[in-house]
Amino acid sequence: MIKSLESEILSFLREPVEERFESLALEIFDFQRRENLVYAKYCDFLGTPDRLDSWKRVPALPQIAFKRSEIRSFPRPQMLTEFRTSGTTGEGHGKHFFPSLRLYEASVQQGWDYFNLPRHRFILLMQHPDDAPFSSLSRMGGFLANFQRDRFVIARDGRFETGRLREELLDPGEALTLFGTALAFLNLIEEIPSLRVNLPPGSMVMETGGPKGSGRNIDQRDLYEQLSLRFGIGTDSIWNEYGMTELSSQFYSRDVRSSHRSPPWMRFQIVDPVTNQESGIGEVGLLRIFDLANLWSVLAVLTQDLAVAQPDGGFLLLGRDSDALPRGCSRAMDELLQSARSR
Amino acid sequence: MLRDKRIAAIASAAAAFSWLGDWTPENLSRWIELELGLLLNGPEPQRYGTHHCLTIPLSPILHIVSGNTPHAALQSLLRGLIVGAVNWIKLPSGGLPELNTFVDRLPKEIRPAMATRLLPGWLEGAEAVVVFGSDAAAEEFAGKILPTQKFLAHGHKISLGLIWSRCHEQLAEGIAKDVFPFDQLGCLSPQFFYVAGDSAEFARQLSQLLPEQPRPGRAAKDLGIAAALRAFREEWRFRAATEEGVFLWESPGNLDWAVVHDPDPGLVANPLHSTIFIKPMPLDTALLLSPIRRLISTIGLHPVNRESVNLGVRSGAQRLCPIGQMQNPPLTWHHDGWPALASLVRYVDVEGLET
Repeated sequence: MIKSLESEILSFLREPVEERFESLALEIFDFQRRENLVYAKYCDFLGTPDRLDSWKRVPALPQIAFKRSEIRSFPRPQMLTEFRTSGTTGEGHGKHFFPSLRLYEASVQQGWDYFNLPRHRFILLMQHPDDAPFSSLSRMGGFLANFQRDRFVIARDGRFETGRLREELLDPGEALTLFGTALAFLNLIEEIPSLRVNLPPGSMVMETGGPKGSGRNIDQRDLYEQLSLRFGIGTDSIWNEYGMTELSSQFYSRDVRSSHRSPPWMRFQIVDPVTNQESGIGEVGLLRIFDLANLWSVLAVLTQDLAVAQPDGGFLLLGRDSDALPRGCSRAMDELLQSARSR
Repeated sequence: MLRDKRIAAIASAAAAFSWLGDWTPENLSRWIELELGLLLNGPEPQRYGTHHCLTIPLSPILHIVSGNTPHAALQSLLRGLIVGAVNWIKLPSGGLPELNTFVDRLPKEIRPAMATRLLPGWLEGAEAVVVFGSDAAAEEFAGKILPTQKFLAHGHKISLGLIWSRCHEQLAEGIAKDVFPFDQLGCLSPQFFYVAGDSAEFARQLSQLLPEQPRPGRAAKDLGIAAALRAFREEWRFRAATEEGVFLWESPGNLDWAVVHDPDPGLVANPLHSTIFIKPMPLDTALLLSPIRRLISTIGLHPVNRESVNLGVRSGAQRLCPIGQMQNPPLTWHHDGWPALASLVRYVDVEGLET
């Protein structure tokens, strides 16, 4: 049963059939409610009926659930891989468990191809998965670059391998794809202030994650202009990958302030934070994501990111308002708890 | 302006702000006498033990106020006015409309100068600098103060309640009065309540009584705050579903209020905006509160008796009061543990004066 559901999702990823999304989503919901004890409790608590008539009614777990509980739809002994969130907020790591990475890999590869992203030479501003076994981003890079160690330019100790990176960037040969977190790109610019290259035509930059955890306040336009200047490419050759440890698939956008689009096995809703009801196009709300490839945890995840649904079917990502809370005297408690955690 | 005339003008201006308390000329005079005796009466030295003494206001006073509650800003200005100082106010970037209204009601000659940025000469020229805000803000200004200037920092504080009772209508009303004003963002706003006995049942009762309690008008929550509150509620909904003893009650269809019962008495961050944490009374309350001891402002008590007061004092409270009165400190309270007026004057001792 599990194998056949996994196979069905894999086949959907290979050849998506729009009409099949709904039934597959509901099958996954049934499976997860049956096999995932934490999720079952949550659905029971919400009074979710056993049978749902739409994927839109599938209860979404808040991201924080991955920090507080083991969100598994399979028995623990079958666990093969564990990805962890960065834990930058000092509240510990969110964990995502997998008995198999077949779906994860298929989603990475098929998603990349769905957006016609090039398969040329990768330079990955991240650690090799052997050096960062809990990083879903490193694993994604591994899948894309066939785990070739020389494609990864951040060493085990977290430092840039600048010599090798320079050689790669100055190689006038074929086009390349530079892929890393926005923070890694900012660090690179700081590490090599003189960095100015003209990447071969057709090259692209894929950034992800935003500058979170960096203590820097840089907006996307400034970042893209910096990257454009440093690598000699237009901002329309810069993409953003929006994903998270708690998911198995990714959204992509191209150029500054453009919509994020999903592959056919993902959906999203924008939820009004006040009413908790779905918002219309053009209205800001919290992003709720449905990912068919997330078979081994939960189909639906409520993020803490704000976004606006666009008429083109995508969403404009606004991100988290980190200054929103705490304010006033609540900051005292927050600062105290942060400091206690960091000790 | 002469003292009595000044006090009458301050009382008249303050009369329009009922939430400030009972600022009559008589009450103000009593307050002055309580803190300064006859020493603020004028230039004439007064008998003080074996010698004489008089006080001179530290002047000008620079008040650097924050935006989360107008209450503290107004009180700071009022204290400066009472001692007879010239007052300068650095306002938050969004301004403070309540302060403007108050200032418009003052006679011109005692009105403070106000700006949303520090004007040239203010920081160096002030005899006293009063800062409201984060530790970081206080630290920043402290580094710029000369040893000859007086520096008074009111950092962020935490308030809480201690309750030995079941929940009833009057108590729920008191909790609402303490929590709801200023979107719960003030230093006197309780962030959590420890309840002896069945704390979960107390929280359930409170959640039923809370919707009936009046709430002061509030500005619409901005989207970032709404998103953070929603994220908080979804976290605690998940915890309520999966953890023993956790309960969440909330205003239906909006973010107006929430009551969370957390069976763990440990300290947690509260997003405020009418979010009430009810927790079981710890076995050793003072010990559990020790990490925030230096940050505690007010502890609301129910009932107020020797035992509860002793526990509050041992826990580090700077002020203890009945539940329902947390937002209404008396005129004569020692904000953050200091004498409010006596901190704003310089004492001049005179010996050998023949009387």
